[in-house]
Formats: sequence, structure tokens, C-alpha cells
Amino acid sequence: MSYEIFDEEMEAIQRAEVFLESRNISSQVVEKAFKTLLKDYGKLFKSVKRLMRLSDRNEQKLKEVTTSLDEKNNMLEDLSGKLAKYLSPQVYELIFSGAKKVQLTTDRKKLTIFFSDIKDFTATTDDLEPEDITFLLNDYLTEMSEIALRYGATIDKFIGDAILIFFGDPATRGVREDAMACVQMAIEMQRHMMDIRTKWKEMGYTRPFHMRVGINTGFCNVGNFGSADRMDYTIIGGEVNLASRLEGVADPDGITLSHETYTLVNDFINAEKGESISVKGIRRKITPYKITGIFNDTNEERRFLRSDRNGIKIFVDFDKLDEESRSLAIDDMRAAIKRLSKLDEKTDNSE
Amino acid sequence: MDNIKINRTERSPDIDFNFQNNVFSIRGESYPEDVPAFFGPPISSLESYLDGVSEGNVEFNFELIYFNSTSAKVMMKLFDFLDETARKGVNIAINWFYESDDDNMEELGIEFGEDLEAAAFNLKPIEA
Repeated sequence: MSYEIFDEEMEAIQRAEVFLESRNISSQVVEKAFKTLLKDYGKLFKSVKRLMRLSDRNEQKLKEVTTSLDEKNNMLEDLSGKLAKYLSPQVYELIFSGAKKVQLTTDRKKLTIFFSDIKDFTATTDDLEPEDITFLLNDYLTEMSEIALRYGATIDKFIGDAILIFFGDPATRGVREDAMACVQMAIEMQRHMMDIRTKWKEMGYTRPFHMRVGINTGFCNVGNFGSADRMDYTIIGGEVNLASRLEGVADPDGITLSHETYTLVNDFINAEKGESISVKGIRRKITPYKITGIFNDTNEERRFLRSDRNGIKIFVDFDKLDEESRSLAIDDMRAAIKRLSKLDEKTDNSE
Repeated sequence: MDNIKINRTERSPDIDFNFQNNVFSIRGESYPEDVPAFFGPPISSLESYLDGVSEGNVEFNFELIYFNSTSAKVMMKLFDFLDETARKGVNIAINWFYESDDDNMEELGIEFGEDLEAAAFNLKPIEA
């Protein structure tokens, strides 16, 4: 059975037509007026139906456009999410929020620059399979990036095993605060390297990485460099070279600062003055400062515990232990301590 | 009567009423904020002019990409008026231009044209 939404209106017209045909209208004037009214009603009814159809068509078109827009938006979101992984989050935010124009412009800013690499990377990885090198390098870069982002750093780029990071752009907390954040980040990275090395050793990698870090504070050009078709948000200048040079003279597992950075953070760290060096592009002699200690050391607990001695081997990954595993581990340890104590007592008694 | 020429905006169509040549055109998209305010003055002028015409040829061109319901009501009213004018003895030709792949605009043209009794109605597809 078909459903007619205008059945009442159609019935009204039919009733009126039947009434007109019955010739029950006594007055000719009334009959004429009734005819006109009926004609106008018919016309109005037609207009309403037509307008409703038009409205329905427009709505359908709008729905199609909205659906297509939604699909395009989802595609763009997905794409921008993928692209974001190739950019530092701050730079991504700057571009996608429209705050920074994507054009070849640069600013001169005072930044604190962090440069690191792996000591003897080529020699260390010489005997490794490419898959192992990929794993180690990605693991290392992932862990370091997580720390860097936590400190609000702008990760400029990875150059093989080297990392270039800066503080002070796009956002700055002040030159001193930026320098402090950078040094604190570097310290946490070196501490965390001890944990990662423990993990790698446990996985069978006998020659784990040792990182060297150089940090400098100075004026750099920061912004988009390259061509109008392919640009890179990066920093350039002699001060960047200096950070790289300081990294070159740093000890393995060490952090070396320039005098400029050292003066900004010397309330926080203890450093040893090194011999002056010359750096290409910088006229003045450079005095490196090697961090030897940290004031206010929070002595944070580390994630792994590892001990490998004759007759005992312990490896604990505290992050991986759930409540049940922790309880079982405690039982194991207690049983071991109990037996070790008994052995100790026996040794004492026999003496 | 002076010719009327209103340039299109994002929401309103071009209006080109040439009273000397009896050629009248509405082209573009039509969803003005205030439809009566937009169409009122040119259509009133057109009606006053055609009220005084009882013979000759009149060409009316519609070339619309999109229009809202209120604009549609204006068109229907205009079609009625043109049909009445044709009944007086004026040769009215209404040309309904639409992009050849726009089924929606073609169907609307057919619907608008089906009530005309005296005016000639021509569907004119144009290459998209």
C-alpha cells in the first residue's frame, strides 16, 4: 500500500471539485469565488510539493558534500598524523595551526643547542647484522626522543647516530631556563643510557652504545632553509658547529658545555674546565666545561637492576613487574637470602 | 526603462535586464540572505515594464547553478507572471540553461516548465 503524504490536501481538492460539479451553489458570485479559491489552492499545493522536492534534493546534495568532506578530512588527518612523525611536534604545531608561514624565512634567536653522537659507532656496529643495527639505533633514538620531548626540546634532526636538538624556538622559557632544561635533559639521557645498556647487554649485545654530548648557547638563524619546493625547519650558524665540536671533545657517557652554557647553569652543575680549543667559523678560543656532578641530585631510581657475578646473575626490569610477579620475585629473593644467610652462618661457626 | 545590471556575489546571481532588447537573464547561484530584498526591485521593474507590453518577442534566460527554496518560490512566481504575459499575446521564450551533467537542475527546469501554457520553454544543456 502506498503512503501519500498529501492525501488530506488531495482529498480537499477532490471534495471541492465534487461540490462544484454538484451545482449546489446558488450564487454565481460565490461559485466564481470558490472556483478561483480552488484554483489558487491547487497552485499552492503544487508549489509546496515542488519546494519540498527542491529542499529534499538540496539536502541530499548537502549530505553528499558533507560525507565527501568528512572522508577528505579523515584522509587529511591521517596524512597529517603520518607527516607529523617527520617533524618536531612544536614545528608541526606551528605549521598546522597556521602560526608560521611555510616560506623561506628565518629569525635570529639565542638558542641552546644539543649535539650528540655514539662513540665509535661504526667500529661498535661493524660485527652486527643490519637488522641488529636498525634495532639498536631505533631503540636508542626512540628512548632519547621521549626524554627530549618531555623537556620541551625541538628535535631538529637525526643524522645517522647523531642527534641535533635545540631549546628556545619555537617556544622559549627564557635563555637561562632553556639552557637549564637542555642540560637537565642531557643528564637524564646519560642516566637512562645506563639502563638501556643494561637492557641491551641482557639481550646479548656485548658492545652497547656510549653517547657523547656537546651543548652550547648562542645566536643562531632558525627557520625554513632550502628551496620553495623542499624546505627544512632547522638551525644554522657557527654556534651550531661549536656544539658539534664540543660533542667531539666530550668523554664517552659525558656532557661538555661551552662557557656560555656553563655560566647559565653553574648553580645547578659542577664542571671541570678543559683545555681551550679552536672551532672553525668562531674566532675566539673555546673553553669546554665537562660536567662532573650535579647539585640537587635527586638520585632517581633506575628502571633496571643488573648484577652478573660468579654464581649469581640478577636482572630486574622494575617497569615490567606486575603485582603478582613482584610478590613472586620477593619470595624468590627471600628464599635466596635465607639460604645465603644460612651458608654465611655455617661459615662463621666453622671459623 | 533603464537597463538593470547587478553583478553576482558569492550568494546572489548576476541580473541582466535589458529592456531595450527585451532580453532578461538571471545567472549564478541564488541564496541571498534576504531574498525578497534582492529580487524585489528588479522583478518589480520587470513586471511594471511587461504590464505595458502586449506584443513582440521577449527572451528570458535562467542559468542557475544552485538556488534555495525561497529563490525557487521567486522563480515560480516569475514563471507564472511570464506565462500570463504570454497569454496577452507577447511571444515569451524562457530558456533554462543547465550544465549537461547536472541532473538536478535539469529536473527542476522540467518541473518549472511543465505548468507553462502560453510561454515557450526551452531546456538548454551546456557543456560542463
